[in-house]
Amino acid sequence: MTSIGTGYDLSNSVFSPDGRNFQVEYAQKAVENGPTTIGLRCKDGIILACEKLITSKLLVPGSNKRISTIDRHIGIATSGLVPDGKHFTNRAREEAISWRRNFKDSVPVASLADRMGSYAQAYTLYSSVRPFGITAILGGADDDGPALYMIEPSGMYWGYFGAATGKGRQAAKSEIEKLNPTELTLLQGVKEAARIIYVAHDDNKDKEFEIEMTWVTKDSKSATAAATGGKGMVWNGWVHEDVPKELLEEASKEAKKALEEDDEDEGETKEEKMDEDL
Amino acid sequence: MFRNNYDNDSVTFSPQGRIFQVEYALEAIKQGSAAVGLRSKTHVALVALKRNAEELGSYQKKIIPIDKHLGVALAGLSPDARVLSNFMRQQSMASRLLYKRPVPVARVVNAIADKAQVNTQHYGKRPYGVGLLIAGVDETGPHLWEFQPSGQILEYFGAAIGARSQSARTYLERSFESFPDVSRDELVLHGLKALRDTLQQDRELTTENTSIAIVGIGEDLKQYDGPRVKRFLDLLGEDGTRSQRAARLDTAMDVGGGADDDDDELAGLLGPGEGTSAMDTTE
Repeated sequence: MTSIGTGYDLSNSVFSPDGRNFQVEYAQKAVENGPTTIGLRCKDGIILACEKLITSKLLVPGSNKRISTIDRHIGIATSGLVPDGKHFTNRAREEAISWRRNFKDSVPVASLADRMGSYAQAYTLYSSVRPFGITAILGGADDDGPALYMIEPSGMYWGYFGAATGKGRQAAKSEIEKLNPTELTLLQGVKEAARIIYVAHDDNKDKEFEIEMTWVTKDSKSATAAATGGKGMVWNGWVHEDVPKELLEEASKEAKKALEEDDEDEGETKEEKMDEDL
Repeated sequence: MFRNNYDNDSVTFSPQGRIFQVEYALEAIKQGSAAVGLRSKTHVALVALKRNAEELGSYQKKIIPIDKHLGVALAGLSPDARVLSNFMRQQSMASRLLYKRPVPVARVVNAIADKAQVNTQHYGKRPYGVGLLIAGVDETGPHLWEFQPSGQILEYFGAAIGARSQSARTYLERSFESFPDVSRDELVLHGLKALRDTLQQDRELTTENTSIAIVGIGEDLKQYDGPRVKRFLDLLGEDGTRSQRAARLDTAMDVGGGADDDDDELAGLLGPGEGTSAMDTTE
């Protein structure tokens, strides 16, 4: 940010003389210190992952989730102000339900992203509200296959093969750019996502963390998936659910090991390592 | 702490992306006296320190029962806590009417969190000035949640809020690993020990200023006040004063400026006169 707003930054919905809305930019700042959160669009599904710092050992592990399910086939991960993320998630669920009611069908991911983009945009229009202090990564699958979107406080949203937000987004982005999304499978994606979260983690400053990871898959082995799609429920066969615990543990262990080896011999080039991992 | 352009309302972000009004609301919790919550495999307990405005005055209540399986302890503005607890009672009754079952703890906690979030995003509203510890039991067992004015909710094994609560948290962090298997009485005892560590040097836990509530699997919420607290204080034994360790901690904090010693800080911010009137509702 070049300058702060000399009076034009005190209220939402006010343009500065050079055409900026400062309050929206400040809302983006709230996200920049949030936990690293990524989304990967793979060949056969979507992965959402989030670095969860453990701020106190009195917290119940695995509780206080940051990634939620919107509908059977769509998940959302938010970074930034947690309560804003909860509000946004609730609204997305309402949109998904309303789509079902109106069209007797599950909501396409692009349509949900569009509606949620509009919802975020509405909070930049009035001085009586403030923008959302979050970016949301929306991942799901529909007739056109897996789709991934990231929605910003301004209401702007783009489709992605790999999206990253939060504190470690720069490191995460450069790691994601090394991947080949048209070939990447979900199982490889889980390992990559875990590795990226570890790489983006700043262990000088940050405390311990756990990884929260979900996926959207067509062939879920879970009991919830088996019980889904009952009478009258229109469902496209995709499921958003937690990545199986054993798989996540294995991926985390590998990521940790890869990172430690990386630290040991700095001489080895990153590209060589990538080839080994894939 | 100084005034700035960005702290007038909760719809203005600062250039760093902070919302000062929400942060100030968090400070209001620290003005209130301490409350401690902790859970075992079978029970959740709340213990709280009550304050009286004057020597001969009555003590402000710190624990509000919501339903047979649910209760809250508060720190901060007690009128705000009453609004929230009335809302929780409504949710609880609605659940019993509609579904013929007690409301799940996480559901009702999420409901007040969503309610509080709206207050931080709209002009003309203010964040709630109260922190809550919510203790309850449902099909998934005993639960302890912390609620903050920001709309943040967190599930804990043990938690403490209010003035000088850092000392209680230190106690909990040291001993929480033993909590899952302790008995009902032992759980309360741990809570009292944590609460005792928040006391100022010349204070002690008495039957007047201590409030206890406990709820367990297959056991309705029960609140203990006044003479009925005596049994637990007797268990605590020795003297009702703070442990040696906490006293040492306190002197260390005084030297270092004090992380949690914030009583004077905000009173100064409120200006003369206002500080005392704000204190009247802060319990």
